[in-house]
Amino acid sequence: MNQRPFLRIFVTPAALCAVGFVAALLAVMQYSLRAYVPGSLEAGGFTLANFTALMKPLYGRVFLDTVWICFLTAFFTLIVGYPLAYALVHARNAALKSVILVITVTPLFLGEVVRTYSWIVVLGNNGFVNAMLLKAGLIDAPVQLMFTHFGVVTALVHVTLPVMVIMLAAALTHIDRDYVRAAASLGAGPIRAFLTVTLPLSTPGIIAGVTTAFAWTFSAFATPQLIGGGQVNMIANLVYQLGFASFNFPFAASLSVAGLALTFAILALLRAAARPLERLGPH
Amino acid sequence: MRLPAEGSAPGAAAATSQDVAVALDGVTRRFGETAALDDVSLSVRRGELMTLLGPSGCGKTTLLNLVAGFLAPDRGEIAIDGERVTDRPAYRREIGIMFQSYALFPHMSVAANVGYGLRMRRRPKAEIARRVEEALALVKLAGLEDRRPRQLSGGQQQRVALARALVIRPKVLLLDEPFSALDRNLRGAMQVELKQIQQQLGVSTIFVTHDQSEALSLSDRIAVMAAGRIRQLGTPDEIYRRPSDRFVASFVGDVNVLPARLEWIDGATAVVALGETRVEVPARPLAGTTIGAPVDLFVRPEELRVAEEGEAAVHGTVAAQIYQGGHVDLHVDVQEAASGRVLLRVSGHEAMARWPAGTRIGIALVADRAIAFSRA
Amino acid sequence: MPRLLAVLGGITVIAILGFIMLPAVVVTLAAFNGRAILSFPPETWSWRWFAKALAYEDFGSGFRNGLIVTAWASTIALVVGAAFALALERYEFRFKRTLEIVLLSPLVVPHFTVGLGFLILAAQLGVARGYAVVVACHVVLVLPFVLRSVYVSLRNLDPRLELAAASLGAPPHRVLTTVTLPLLLPGLVSGWLFAAILSFNEFTASLFVTAQRTQTLPVALYNYVREYADPSMAAVSVLYIVLTAVLLTFATVFLGLGKVLNVEAPR
Repeated sequence: MNQRPFLRIFVTPAALCAVGFVAALLAVMQYSLRAYVPGSLEAGGFTLANFTALMKPLYGRVFLDTVWICFLTAFFTLIVGYPLAYALVHARNAALKSVILVITVTPLFLGEVVRTYSWIVVLGNNGFVNAMLLKAGLIDAPVQLMFTHFGVVTALVHVTLPVMVIMLAAALTHIDRDYVRAAASLGAGPIRAFLTVTLPLSTPGIIAGVTTAFAWTFSAFATPQLIGGGQVNMIANLVYQLGFASFNFPFAASLSVAGLALTFAILALLRAAARPLERLGPH
Repeated sequence: MRLPAEGSAPGAAAATSQDVAVALDGVTRRFGETAALDDVSLSVRRGELMTLLGPSGCGKTTLLNLVAGFLAPDRGEIAIDGERVTDRPAYRREIGIMFQSYALFPHMSVAANVGYGLRMRRRPKAEIARRVEEALALVKLAGLEDRRPRQLSGGQQQRVALARALVIRPKVLLLDEPFSALDRNLRGAMQVELKQIQQQLGVSTIFVTHDQSEALSLSDRIAVMAAGRIRQLGTPDEIYRRPSDRFVASFVGDVNVLPARLEWIDGATAVVALGETRVEVPARPLAGTTIGAPVDLFVRPEELRVAEEGEAAVHGTVAAQIYQGGHVDLHVDVQEAASGRVLLRVSGHEAMARWPAGTRIGIALVADRAIAFSRA
Repeated sequence: MPRLLAVLGGITVIAILGFIMLPAVVVTLAAFNGRAILSFPPETWSWRWFAKALAYEDFGSGFRNGLIVTAWASTIALVVGAAFALALERYEFRFKRTLEIVLLSPLVVPHFTVGLGFLILAAQLGVARGYAVVVACHVVLVLPFVLRSVYVSLRNLDPRLELAAASLGAPPHRVLTTVTLPLLLPGLVSGWLFAAILSFNEFTASLFVTAQRTQTLPVALYNYVREYADPSMAAVSVLYIVLTAVLLTFATVFLGLGKVLNVEAPR
């Protein structure tokens, strides 16, 4: 009997997609090594000029800023997301579970533009927060929330929250309830049982969530573009400006390549830092 | 209607509160419409191993969870060592529990697992180390302190779970079908070890199982449960030889049911007629039955023997012989039997040759150890 | 003490859920505002922004383009992804791990890089910036989610069912069509739904690969926001939110979204 009757049929289409994806990435890499011909969409001959141009401190600052924003976002998303994931998994009522799940996941499916626009309405000088604060008499003049790191991070946390909650909940749901009961029978109150048993056992979920949050945020575009408004720039914004404002696609490509390299470097770092923590997990 | 629980010795009901490790009084617990436990009262004596035995759904695990504090009763009171604990959460009851799944913390070493309860009680480090070592020695796992649970075999994990529950010197030890995942040989060995440890430490224990042979071999007393109630409470011997109703008689051990007729009652003894044979049975289960009424005679397989023509109470044809090593099980088609079949145990290997399938044999009762229950 | 914890926990969760819903609530208020200038609460209430949004030509064409792209991309991704997931779960073959990693990597590669890549690739191959490029880009981006969804479903499928079918005389392709695929149906449907929603809402890569005439709805919305400040955008957002919430409730209740996302232990 043929052990793999449909192998070719199943794998070939996927292989084609993989090839297409890799070709796209190679196109970027190849372009990053080409010269910029001003006023034209064509690229010139091979050169390393794009990468040397990257060395300017301006770009270094954008990279650092991006990493910093990603870190803040991942951190706060974890803090806010964990209680929600916990509630989602431990809710007794099935209807309540569904409600929490739908509310949490809906923003994920709204698309960046709608979400970000909604935050503009909340954060703007005429927006909700300022209107409420003014009405309550807590401030005299609108507080500048747009175009700030605070605004961008808040919106990014909102964007990343669904993903974090899903990954945390997936880890939490697979922790056997008997562990907590055993801890209780041995004298651990609810808080100590959580800290000594549930939390360590959810470590793989935390790591997965933080890593994913970081990778997602790194490529954020609409949020920093619309809320940052040019004052808060992440890598994606810079790539877009260079590509579509100046049509300097080769340089945009080199930025992308550098960004990609940075992403992988940081992810590798996170993996390495997480390895000792992985031993806490259940396996 | 609830049958009175039988005590094993006179004065059992008068046991003082100091002798009672766990007391449940009128405990009821519902899940939705069903009562998993219905007005149950039970006392576990200090140092005894009490088994809760019954089919799935009888409420034995619910009872265990109530004593542990994982569930709260809808009605009734629970006391441990004379103190009322009904409102107390699990982590403030001095219990040790061994789960069916062992529930060893996978992210901690064996030593950390066993020492967990002591850490929660904030014992000094040196004391914890010492007591962990003692506990592991008690379950014969010395030297495995630094291993992780996933590196241990099933039997070893179980011993760690036991050590973890015992090291805190609990007032009561709770075991939830702990041996069901083990193969038969290992199970037998673990049962013996558990009994020895339990007696050595004198810890009051509640053991839950659906395996009646396990219950018979381990327990000081058994509470046979069905549908949320205790049907009978007594020593293994009482449960086996003097079951108080049909359910207990059928559930515990193999039993043959033969229809008979009540002839007369005289004090503590009654006589029933099985065909031409007269059999003496205890009168108590037949209280209130009219003379001449049909009753069911319950006989254990070992209380039957193959008989000559004149002595036989019933006759039948051998349907199958099952060799069991020490004895042979003869399954005999008997028309009168309630299930159509009678099981008897015959020792000796000549049974295989003497009564092969198809042989017509007579069956007689060995001694007057049968019990009869009325049909109603 | 447990009571106190439960109350505190409940308050925390409600606060967090409030945070999540805040933008949606605020934007709904803004959408019904009778005036063009934002104010809270609105001084007058009106449906005019909804009317304006629904009439706006670019939104309309964006919506249509989005449907075309999404229909193609999610269906292609479903077929490719389901087939590959089957191969992944059942067979061993060369480059299996490599292929899996490559196909899952769009999860960590920034969308702007993928978008830029397809843009450059199309230019270099001389392919026009039409629907094909956009669909190809979307397929690649959405494939990891389909793969995951189908894979989870596959894991929950008892392989003995297929063995039973084979023992009863079904050749491999009949087993596939009469046992495997029907049992995988919930996973396939939710995978498709997942892919469709993500593709329809995909923005960053689409910004790079779409042209004026193939512009998807998110790109059209973005262009609008950059130029105009009136609440038409808010009206569109409200429509979006309502539609998405309804679809997701449907998916949770009927398709077991919780299990697909792996946040519920399979029963």
